[in-house]
Amino acid sequence: MNAIEARLLSKCYRMQGSVAPTMFGKLAHIFRREPPKLLWAMDNVSFDIRRGETIGVIGPNGSGKSSLLSLIARTTAPTSGSVFSRGRVSSLLELGAGFHSELTGRENIFLNGAILGIPKKTLVKRFDGIVDFAGIREFLDMPVKFYSSGMYVRLGFAIAVEMDPDILLIDEVLAVGDTAFQIKCLARIRDFQRRGKTLVLVSHALQTVEEFCDRVFLIHKGKLVCEGKPSEVIFTYLKSYMGEGGGIHAVEYGSRDAEITGVRFIGSSGAETGTFGMGEPFAVEISYRARKRIDQPVFGFAIKTGNGFFVYGSNTQIAGFGIDHVEGQGRIMLKINPLTLMHGNFFLSLSVHSWDHAIQYHRLEDWYPFVVKNSTQEQGIFRLNSSWEMAG
Amino acid sequence: MSMLADIMAHRELLANLIIRNLKSRYKDSALGFLWSILTPLFMAFIYMVFLRILRAGIPMEEILIGVFAWQYTVQCIGNGLTCITENGNLVKKVYFPRMILPLATTISNLVNFLLTLIVQFALVAILLGLHGQHIGVAVIALPAVIAFHFLFCFGIVLFLSCANVYFRDLEHLVNVLVTALFFLTPAMYSFSMVAQIASDKHLPLLAELYMLNPLAVIITAYRALILPDVVFPVTAGAGAGIVIAGLFVILAYGLFQKLQKNFSDMF
Repeated sequence: MNAIEARLLSKCYRMQGSVAPTMFGKLAHIFRREPPKLLWAMDNVSFDIRRGETIGVIGPNGSGKSSLLSLIARTTAPTSGSVFSRGRVSSLLELGAGFHSELTGRENIFLNGAILGIPKKTLVKRFDGIVDFAGIREFLDMPVKFYSSGMYVRLGFAIAVEMDPDILLIDEVLAVGDTAFQIKCLARIRDFQRRGKTLVLVSHALQTVEEFCDRVFLIHKGKLVCEGKPSEVIFTYLKSYMGEGGGIHAVEYGSRDAEITGVRFIGSSGAETGTFGMGEPFAVEISYRARKRIDQPVFGFAIKTGNGFFVYGSNTQIAGFGIDHVEGQGRIMLKINPLTLMHGNFFLSLSVHSWDHAIQYHRLEDWYPFVVKNSTQEQGIFRLNSSWEMAG
Repeated sequence: MSMLADIMAHRELLANLIIRNLKSRYKDSALGFLWSILTPLFMAFIYMVFLRILRAGIPMEEILIGVFAWQYTVQCIGNGLTCITENGNLVKKVYFPRMILPLATTISNLVNFLLTLIVQFALVAILLGLHGQHIGVAVIALPAVIAFHFLFCFGIVLFLSCANVYFRDLEHLVNVLVTALFFLTPAMYSFSMVAQIASDKHLPLLAELYMLNPLAVIITAYRALILPDVVFPVTAGAGAGIVIAGLFVILAYGLFQKLQKNFSDMF
């Protein structure tokens, strides 16, 4: 049975620009006679989501992901087409939305609970749990306007997780909060899945999407460009669309006497992929072309996390892999085995330069995105080869 | 799902919003609830002094009833204007039947009105007692007038709340209109004074036209039911006033239902 059905769903926004929603604003606008700019945030999208499925929604910034969630949540009405959902829909979008600053924490728990559609009985029963989870027991009878922003968000989350909808919509919740908060979030998502609930998850954290979702929708400019198995859709996204919405400051420079013409990420199965498992072999096949004979060139690589943290870098010279010369076309293989990155979105930079670093032939900075998925219990961004023994 | 069923499904939210409105109104001032009684009392007192100076003889009890009823209407207008816009964040992020917001505003103001009504009744009974009169039995019909007044206020709130989403500067215009409405409404004077002027000037139509204002009908009905000396003018004008109020509410409801779909796009 389908939990959500969308048929030719479209949503068009009028770009109001500088027109303020006031009487004078409207009047001024009429005299200027500018035709309104239209933005199709959702453009004839149709899909079915079965009950119990977890769907990931990915796409560049501004592609319409959040509009899709708003349409499913019914907070916004479609311009044309329809979206139908079976069962109660809740969204984990805005923590603490609807808190009333004059009211105490205690009063806001019940008010916010009612806004989110949590029955009062549940709130009464779970009251202590909510208070302890948020850690606000001493401040319970204080108006929330005196709360710190951290307390505010924690209380919002503690209430929100008490929701028990049939369909839960999650928009980038995992992007906010500290690690402990995110772990609680993820644990809650797993709990939902175990109980056979339907989930729609919008995220830029591709490894999370890969890890949790049964199917992934790729949205681009309001259109559903592809859907299917997480690893395949993520790969399509990485190859074709990532970076369009900004966020990646990819740069390319060099004399181009030798240049990198293609890159293929090869997974453990030997096939091209965009997603790797931690501890599995990682290989990159780099195609190059040299316009003239270059003696002793050096190929280098660097890996950064999605937020720009430089993780590791090396080159053929450091590795002691001497290349006598290159001329014309060729391919070189970079192998990392096992891959000790833990999980996340990463970017690979590649370069070719002369043996004395004097000439940069071609450098592609943060050019190639890939995803690493960790299925162990270990935490962190880099796997350290650790072991334990009894001392003495 | 019909509107009513949708609101019923969210009745806990409605109850919570009403409580929130009342609590936040009474919370921030030490006198709290007392202010909702003191304000109309002060106003009534000022009007009385003012009218005495003008040598217009109008009993204090009539002013009291008029001012308390007016106060309810004005508070609905004030809160009604902002009840959607000040919850923009909520409207954008969470689904619930939007009509709950104007409904909660009108109901919480009604609760406040009913509470002040108790004080008003005590005062009116004392004032009547001073000239050996008492509240008539007709007062048992008061709930019908209150219900009608509530419905009319709900219409006003529905209309203003959705209009304010599209015209955020509506407040200024409304302030002017409220002042005009105050003078067109028998709050600090009585309908009998209007009727008197109409007959003095040989303009019987004036009294009829005056009653087209639903608030004139409502406040005169309050007075007629509570006070033994006031008679409700059963005229075509008063009938039309009731019909106008009904039509306005239906119109406001229709407008709200049409516009509410796009509220979230306006924040």
